[in-house]
Amino acid sequence: MPMIEPISEQTIRSHIVRAVQEVFSTMLGREVQFVDPPGQTSAKPRPALEGKPGQHDPYVVGTVGFVGKIDGLIYLYLPEKFARLATSHLLGMSEYAIAAEGASVVNDAIGELTNMTVGVFKNALCDSGLTCRLTIPSILRGSNFTIEPISSATRWIFHFDCAGYRLVADILMKPQE
Amino acid sequence: MRYRILTVDDSRTVRTIVRKALKNFDCEILEGSNGVEGLAMAGKENPSVIILDVTMPVMDGVEMLTRLKADPQLKTVPVVMLTAEGGRENVLKIAKLGIRDYIVKPFKEDLLIEKLGRIIDLKPLGDGPAKIKSILDPCDILVVEDKPAIIQQIQDGLGHTQWKILGMSLLGEAIDLCQRQVPDMILISLSLPDDSALQLFRLLRANLKTKNTPIFGVAVKTDAVAQQQAQQIGFSAIVTKPIDISDLESKMAKAMNLDMSPRHFTIDQNFFTLRLPENCSPLVINDVTSRLEAKLAEAVNAGLSRALIDVHEVKGLNMTIIKLLLQTMQMCHELAMQFALVGNANVITECKGFEDTRSWSFFESMVEARESLLVKKLPIC
Repeated sequence: MPMIEPISEQTIRSHIVRAVQEVFSTMLGREVQFVDPPGQTSAKPRPALEGKPGQHDPYVVGTVGFVGKIDGLIYLYLPEKFARLATSHLLGMSEYAIAAEGASVVNDAIGELTNMTVGVFKNALCDSGLTCRLTIPSILRGSNFTIEPISSATRWIFHFDCAGYRLVADILMKPQE
Repeated sequence: MRYRILTVDDSRTVRTIVRKALKNFDCEILEGSNGVEGLAMAGKENPSVIILDVTMPVMDGVEMLTRLKADPQLKTVPVVMLTAEGGRENVLKIAKLGIRDYIVKPFKEDLLIEKLGRIIDLKPLGDGPAKIKSILDPCDILVVEDKPAIIQQIQDGLGHTQWKILGMSLLGEAIDLCQRQVPDMILISLSLPDDSALQLFRLLRANLKTKNTPIFGVAVKTDAVAQQQAQQIGFSAIVTKPIDISDLESKMAKAMNLDMSPRHFTIDQNFFTLRLPENCSPLVINDVTSRLEAKLAEAVNAGLSRALIDVHEVKGLNMTIIKLLLQTMQMCHELAMQFALVGNANVITECKGFEDTRSWSFFESMVEARESLLVKKLPIC
């Protein structure tokens, strides 16, 4: 059985940047810029949401995991306003129609965008020998929350800019055995 | 036949995107949100194609696919996987179960349409029931030919029609044009250099917009190899040089499914007229014969009682023409329509030579024939 190299931070970054850019460009026709603040490391990542809890804008956060030879979870944060815009574009519906449908239609669309993003990310892992499968998406909403990993998980947080909105990919991975 | 496409995905978003992508095509979209619903829907509706996700609650796509393939009624339904599961190993594992295609999310709607178009004959949806074009309507004809004289010959020869003949010598130009506006019919010279004609044909057939457009190959009469190659890859028909324009026109009209009847049947000044053209090819005779009864009935229904049978353009008689004329006269008798024949000197002379036609009387002009029917009010034969 071939040896599997531990994944470097650079590989994780490269995979997630490609995944976010590919999904947003293909599905929404939007360019996404990776924001790389100086001095950030996985040991001391920039927080997912700037400011104190309760002070930032409401977010819709999609979550999809991957399980197999490598286990992990990715949270994709989208400002609620951008989440509605993205849903409108994806489904070809007006923002008024989206509002009339309620939160469930936005939740489903962001769940699917997250599913595709994590899919591209984990397919790259699969192709390097770390075969794994996706889990079913779930959604978290609100403006007053923080996500804390268990101490053994490795965490990377990556920020992106898209159409004037800040998107965040928060990656939690179980250390490889 | 209206195709039914079943999309099985737990994401309402994906099902909506599929529906949106196909909204301009003549197909019905069915939905299932997991494998159990998908199987039930497939069993009940017998879809033409299934678009299937992998990761779903209740029953995932792999299990649904396995069960489909084990079901004698459903195992032949083509399945296209549409999933975020795209690792090489996963794809190979699923492909072994028997799928027609695999699309990894994220995906463009065009890609989905293209893949489905390879499995079923997806046709764009018109605004309403398709109006049948007639021989008198404008049509766009693209001629891909590197010899300007041939393009000119076709333009001149078909100048009496409302068809717009556009000549092009370069493949790229022709492909661009077809992308912008699909012509009603395409003629490609089989003597273009480097097998360009066959390449162009394959590209046009692979494109959803032009996959159903009639394409004729044009070859020198003696170039049997080129003609055979073109027939083998599926050209709609072959036209040989030197081009018989009249024959080309008939073949093109048939390939474009044009209603030829306005050219042969007219109603003018309370007279029903059947007019046969100079070149009465078998295509023309068949077309006229197939519509004759309905057209005469239509005229009687509209209150007409006089018919003109005009063969003055016909070069010479043959048995199929005689048979058609006998049939027309018989129908006129049955419908109590008075009729008169209009012919030229050659036709009149030839009629004297046949037992069945010896007794026919002709007028030399339409005016005389009309006046005769109005004054005498008796059939002339």
